[in-house]
Amino acid sequence: MAQNNTEQKITREQFLSLARLARLSFSEEESEDFIRGFEEMISFCDGINSEIEGDASTIREVGSREIALDDLREDSVCPSLPNEKILSNVQGEHGYFSVKRVVK
Amino acid sequence: MKYQLVSGFETHVELATDTKIFCGCSTKFGASPNTHCCPVCTGQPGALPVLNKKVVEYAIRAGLATHCTINTITHLDRKNYCYPDLPKAYQISQFDKPLCEHGYVELESGKKIRLTRIHIEEDAGKLVHERGHTLIDYNRGGVPLIEIVSEPDISSPEEAREYVEKLQLIMRYIGVSDCKMQEGSMRCDVNISLCPEGSDVLGTRTEIKNMNSITFIERAMAYEAERQAEILDAGGKVEQATMRFDEATGETYVMRTKEDAQDYRYFPEPDLLTVHIPKERVEEIAASLPELPLEKLRRYTGELGISQHNARLLYKYKAVCDFFEACLALGAGAKNTANLILGTVYSTLATEEEKEAFDIKVSAGDMAALVKYVDGGKINVTLAQMTLAKMLKEGGALSQYITESDLAGVSEEQLISLCREAIANNPKAAEDYLAGKQKAIGGLFGYIKRATQGKADIRRAEEIIKGLLSQK
Repeated sequence: MAQNNTEQKITREQFLSLARLARLSFSEEESEDFIRGFEEMISFCDGINSEIEGDASTIREVGSREIALDDLREDSVCPSLPNEKILSNVQGEHGYFSVKRVVK
Repeated sequence: MKYQLVSGFETHVELATDTKIFCGCSTKFGASPNTHCCPVCTGQPGALPVLNKKVVEYAIRAGLATHCTINTITHLDRKNYCYPDLPKAYQISQFDKPLCEHGYVELESGKKIRLTRIHIEEDAGKLVHERGHTLIDYNRGGVPLIEIVSEPDISSPEEAREYVEKLQLIMRYIGVSDCKMQEGSMRCDVNISLCPEGSDVLGTRTEIKNMNSITFIERAMAYEAERQAEILDAGGKVEQATMRFDEATGETYVMRTKEDAQDYRYFPEPDLLTVHIPKERVEEIAASLPELPLEKLRRYTGELGISQHNARLLYKYKAVCDFFEACLALGAGAKNTANLILGTVYSTLATEEEKEAFDIKVSAGDMAALVKYVDGGKINVTLAQMTLAKMLKEGGALSQYITESDLAGVSEEQLISLCREAIANNPKAAEDYLAGKQKAIGGLFGYIKRATQGKADIRRAEEIIKGLLSQK
């Protein structure tokens, strides 16, 4: 848990905002746990950042590797999966995925 | 107060590739639900996307045809949001490095609607809301899209119509999309704000989502502008909001306000490499572009001397233009070819789709030969129209319909004698005409047309008949 406000890496508001975006809800206790977890992750990343500040030769930024246009996939159709297979682990209805109504 | 409408468009266009953007599933429209799906496009854990080359090429085509600069280094980004139409809970799109930037679409007035950017992304699945359930079809999920973002340069619903129609035509001409709004392969989000006339301070904008008909776009814009003007006139403030247009009532309603604005938390897509597009490939694609719609329209009315009205009816359909130009290349005259297509051929093609497909039983070679007979005065227009109508219905070669004797035409002597016959056999029509009923003369033409199977030059017959009757 963050010791004080100046060192706090993630605020309660930030955490709740992320939870809302992910459509997740947490109890008070779970929230505290997650905030702590997030802060550990951020600290870990900060650690990596300070480690590599001197020597960046061993790391590569996302997107720094390129592929040439002509090496991309050709536009030719491959077989899709059968409908039963696609729906095998979910609740299906008439070939559709079915979820609780999402609009009022 | 008087206000000026300020509008920008975000237009989604489905690309006409055979496969989806990141997997080999078919993009064909109208299949049974969830039959064009695989682990990639249903977002199964561990499945990895592989970018379709044609998507990038088509997007470059679209960019070049709208005068954009092409970014030769481009990458994709993740746009995160939770909604059942996205199985991964993110959409792979482009954020800070779109493929195309800084283009424009020119309107006929010469006004340019500037384009901010064109980027590639994947389409979402289709949702069907039923009583207590929402049903999801992921066939559309992963179908390649380009999003064309315009600057707020559109100042009226009429300009909006022209902008969308021009975009549609450009995309069809260059063959990257069929842009069928009714099937959802072209959809527009319309941003609207008002500013007091003469001012350049932009007002608060609202966005009307997912419009799939040009007529509805015009109506929604007019309604929304009116709504905003009423708020401003009453001293109120327009609230930034995302709206929907209700086609049944013709009104817009609020879907979500600024407070519920999405936070997409974009970041570079780690599952895909940055794409490098060699400059030479961009040049190759540029060289392969056909003549664009507005250039064609201007050439038809200018160089070819076709009327604005007729040129417009032709240039709307790429396949018609191809046929028309093939006839011209074989030596047929532009005006007679255009008239026969617009009169006789179009009367057999009832719908827009039929005109777009232009699947007719007459070859450009036969059409050109027929037009050349008319151009050279060997047969008259009436016979050409009748012949063409028969060929369109029954097919077969021109030689089956036009004989040597047709080409010989009707001599002046034959025509004079026929005119005499016509008068003698239709005394009532002749009398009526002399009594002042101009239309009665039509009965005499009918006689001549029948007697010559349409071969006679009716304009010349009219002169002769009038001459004969005046001697009476």
